[in-house]
Amino acid sequence: MSRHPHSTPLFSFSRIWIIAGNTFTHLMRMKVFYFLLVFVLIWLGLNVFKLPHTAGPESVGGEELRLLKAPLVGTMKLFAIIIGIVATALLIPRDVEDRTLYTILAKPVPRLDYLLGKLFGVLLLILAGLTVMTLLLDAVLWYRTQGILSEFDKVAGILIEQQQWTVEDRQEARAELLSHGVTWGLQGAILVIFFEAAIIAALALLVSTFSTSTLFTVVISTLSYFIGNFIADGLDHWQGSSGIDEGSLGDLSTRALFVAFPDFRPFKIVDEVLAGQIFPPDVLGSLALSTGLYVGLYVVLSWFIFTYKEI
Amino acid sequence: MSETPAVQVSSLVKDFRGSFGRGMIRAVDDVSLQIAPGEVYGLIGPNGSGKSTTMKALLGLVTPTSGTCAIFGRDSSKVDSRQEVGFLPENPYFYKHLNGEETIRFYGKLCGMRGRSLRERTEELLELVDLQDARKRRLGAYSKGMLQRIGLAQALVQDPRLLILDEPTAGVDPIGSRQIRDLIFNLKERGFTVFLCSHLLEQVQEVCDRVGIIHKGTLVKEGRLEELISIEDQTEIILRNATPDLLHRIHELADQEEGVDLVRSGNPRTTLERLFLRETVQRDAKADPGSGTGQGSPADGGPDGCNNDTEEDSP
Repeated sequence: MSRHPHSTPLFSFSRIWIIAGNTFTHLMRMKVFYFLLVFVLIWLGLNVFKLPHTAGPESVGGEELRLLKAPLVGTMKLFAIIIGIVATALLIPRDVEDRTLYTILAKPVPRLDYLLGKLFGVLLLILAGLTVMTLLLDAVLWYRTQGILSEFDKVAGILIEQQQWTVEDRQEARAELLSHGVTWGLQGAILVIFFEAAIIAALALLVSTFSTSTLFTVVISTLSYFIGNFIADGLDHWQGSSGIDEGSLGDLSTRALFVAFPDFRPFKIVDEVLAGQIFPPDVLGSLALSTGLYVGLYVVLSWFIFTYKEI
Repeated sequence: MSETPAVQVSSLVKDFRGSFGRGMIRAVDDVSLQIAPGEVYGLIGPNGSGKSTTMKALLGLVTPTSGTCAIFGRDSSKVDSRQEVGFLPENPYFYKHLNGEETIRFYGKLCGMRGRSLRERTEELLELVDLQDARKRRLGAYSKGMLQRIGLAQALVQDPRLLILDEPTAGVDPIGSRQIRDLIFNLKERGFTVFLCSHLLEQVQEVCDRVGIIHKGTLVKEGRLEELISIEDQTEIILRNATPDLLHRIHELADQEEGVDLVRSGNPRTTLERLFLRETVQRDAKADPGSGTGQGSPADGGPDGCNNDTEEDSP
């Protein structure tokens, strides 16, 4: 008679959470958060050195805020993508090499739980890192916005007195200035960066299930990221200039390409938000859906390959 | 009613694809073996003979090309079968960022253990493997022997009925090796089934009830240890304090009997391992009787009664 008569469920949130928590602790203790130090150094650098700008006096404030947040958001994106690729690429091969994987899979742990645990651990780390950086960014941006606004109000008052500006002009310019400060759109844009990192981490997970080296996984995942970002524009142009019809072979091949290589074109909305454009809420929903589909697809493929992997 | 075997490997075949598509390499060729509950079974063979592949197939880490493996009647390709098994791989490296206590807790949680029962089990296992003092130390700072012992603790965390040990003493010094051997004895006494794979034949001989010899993927010999290693036509008599006159008379008696040859006489020899342990651990114990050397140390005799035919006893 067995002392353990219950059967092991295929999927267990608690087990995934345990593996994710362990992965998160593992990465934390690998001191990846030193990246935050780089972020702080960039921020300090931006405050010490005044960046040159060519905008006119009426848009000086907005331009200054844009020049402040663009490199900081860029650093956040770099952090998210690098961690998404490198940490994911490192985890499974290292577990195989150290035989830690044997001891985990020799326990009643389904391979899907292991994969999801590893992926969620990396995503947890990215989310934590982005949250800390966002709080820092918001604090800095809010502080600078307040300073610029008080200056702006003084200048705008003078311009209205001199009848160079109307009250409406001032309100419009003030709204323009505030659109470069701490906005919900900016928070949404950072969430989109997280989505992008989640897709690339899931792709790195897929590559690492059949790759024999970490370097290969990193190279393939990085290439996929560039293909998803830049080749897409070329294909757009090619489709436009060749007059490819919807449903034709050329159109289907392009679509197939974007299954293998994620299409990051819609994620470029981050750049537009940084330029001061409003973030439409429905776009966030469609990007979340697109992220869910890509991550789901890559996880299912990873599971399929990993199930038959000889360890 | 016959009891369900702890391990049932039936006609196991495992082929691996050669590099660059150079055909198939047969790692395991039609291996069948059965281990009864409570038995200690040793699988021995040279490097690359298929020992580890057999163990991996039993754990569902590799898929058999043909044949089946079962643990307590459950198909080992199914995750459920692993509820009853603990595994210690050869030269394991656990997560170096965890300490000893966290490692046991992590594996316990993977097996669904929580709260008080996990805390108590962790304490119990740290005591069993004699690592209470190193519980808060990161595994990165553990010695090879300590890693093997924490490995054994994680293998035992969910209180499995079967323990699979792949070269449990590889790279461990004789003292650590003896401690692990004593742990295996301890587990055997508590009714665990142990499937052991080792290059150290003397150790296998000491602890195993049954042995299988695997060579080039084929199980070439299998049986109860005493049956396999006894030389049927020879008899051994060990005398203490025998005088030269008595030995002379025994020689004469043997010569008088037709068909009897006295093959060898002389002082039985201890093993190098025992000599090493006597000169290190026992010396330390004598110098400092208050300091413990961990359970089952040779200083207190240990459970090594199964190989006392050449044991040298102090008067």
